[in-house]
Amino acid sequence: MAETDHSSADDGALVRAAQKGDTGAFEELVARHRDKIYARAYSMMRNEDEALDLSQEAWVKGWQRLNQFNRKSSFSTWMTRIVINLCLDELRKQKRHRSESIEEMGEEAGGVERQMPAVTANPTERLERGELRQRIDEAMRGLSHEHRTVLLLHEFEEMEYKEIARTMDCSIGTVMSRLFYARRKLAGLLSDLRSEN
Amino acid sequence: MTEDQQLQLQAFSDGELKGRGAREVAAWVARDPEAAALLKELRNTREALKGFAPQSKVPVSRELYWPGIERRIRTVERERAPSRSPEFLSMLRRLLMPASALAALLLIVTIAGLQSGLFQSAHKADTETAMADSGTFTYQDYASGTTLVWVGYPAER
Repeated sequence: MAETDHSSADDGALVRAAQKGDTGAFEELVARHRDKIYARAYSMMRNEDEALDLSQEAWVKGWQRLNQFNRKSSFSTWMTRIVINLCLDELRKQKRHRSESIEEMGEEAGGVERQMPAVTANPTERLERGELRQRIDEAMRGLSHEHRTVLLLHEFEEMEYKEIARTMDCSIGTVMSRLFYARRKLAGLLSDLRSEN
Repeated sequence: MTEDQQLQLQAFSDGELKGRGAREVAAWVARDPEAAALLKELRNTREALKGFAPQSKVPVSRELYWPGIERRIRTVERERAPSRSPEFLSMLRRLLMPASALAALLLIVTIAGLQSGLFQSAHKADTETAMADSGTFTYQDYASGTTLVWVGYPAER
């Protein structure tokens, strides 16, 4: 029997077919969204092997839970939430095995960034898009897992404080504190770039 | 500026403050240059991040990526298969229980009927086992006047 060509079907049709057990349809969904899912895992884990493994694991979970997908959000958003949760679980496991550094404890408390004078100059002015991306990526790498994750969930997944707190299993106060620290550090790093230029 | 005030300012910038809380922070920002500067920084940083969601490509080809997923799906489904059998057994139990009850009821009715002679035929016949020779059976049909004797072979002496 000839294999069905899924390339022209939209995500909704592919999800419906996959829910009936069509792995070909699911493979097409993986092909379409694999980079986004991997990118989320990589941005949280900062490790290629772990990101690859967790992104694949997320697709397996997605397949198992397909019948729970209620179409309130897009399929890729739903899958992104799955990979974020897997990464958070993994980070929690890893955290149990490593002691918190003095620097991280300082971050949690707010560190020197809380006292830093406000950077009022717009960091995006007079910067090439490519340069800005590179600098933002560098700045994100400089954050701890917790601060980077809060920033990702708020800025790129557009989650509210309450939702982030639920996802990260922490209080709203902790979310606000981590978000504030992450932003101030980022502002400082982007302002350094302006001075260098 | 206190830590609480900084976080309140951030919540205002993120649209997390509503009604009176938002109005109070807006008034505070209007009269305090330090608060206004921090609010500007928070907004600029947010603006800078727009459209810069981290992007990375899967470092392996589709031909290598999908089989890894497919293999795991198969493994997981194989592992899940035994967990389905209790469900199947429970369904079977649900079907068999009424059937068993019905069978038991029929058995009781049959035994009761036999004891009360309800099912006894007018056509009477007896089967006897001779005590002297347990291998021998005698059948007597009174209506037809027939007697049949089974002898175990070889006959025991």
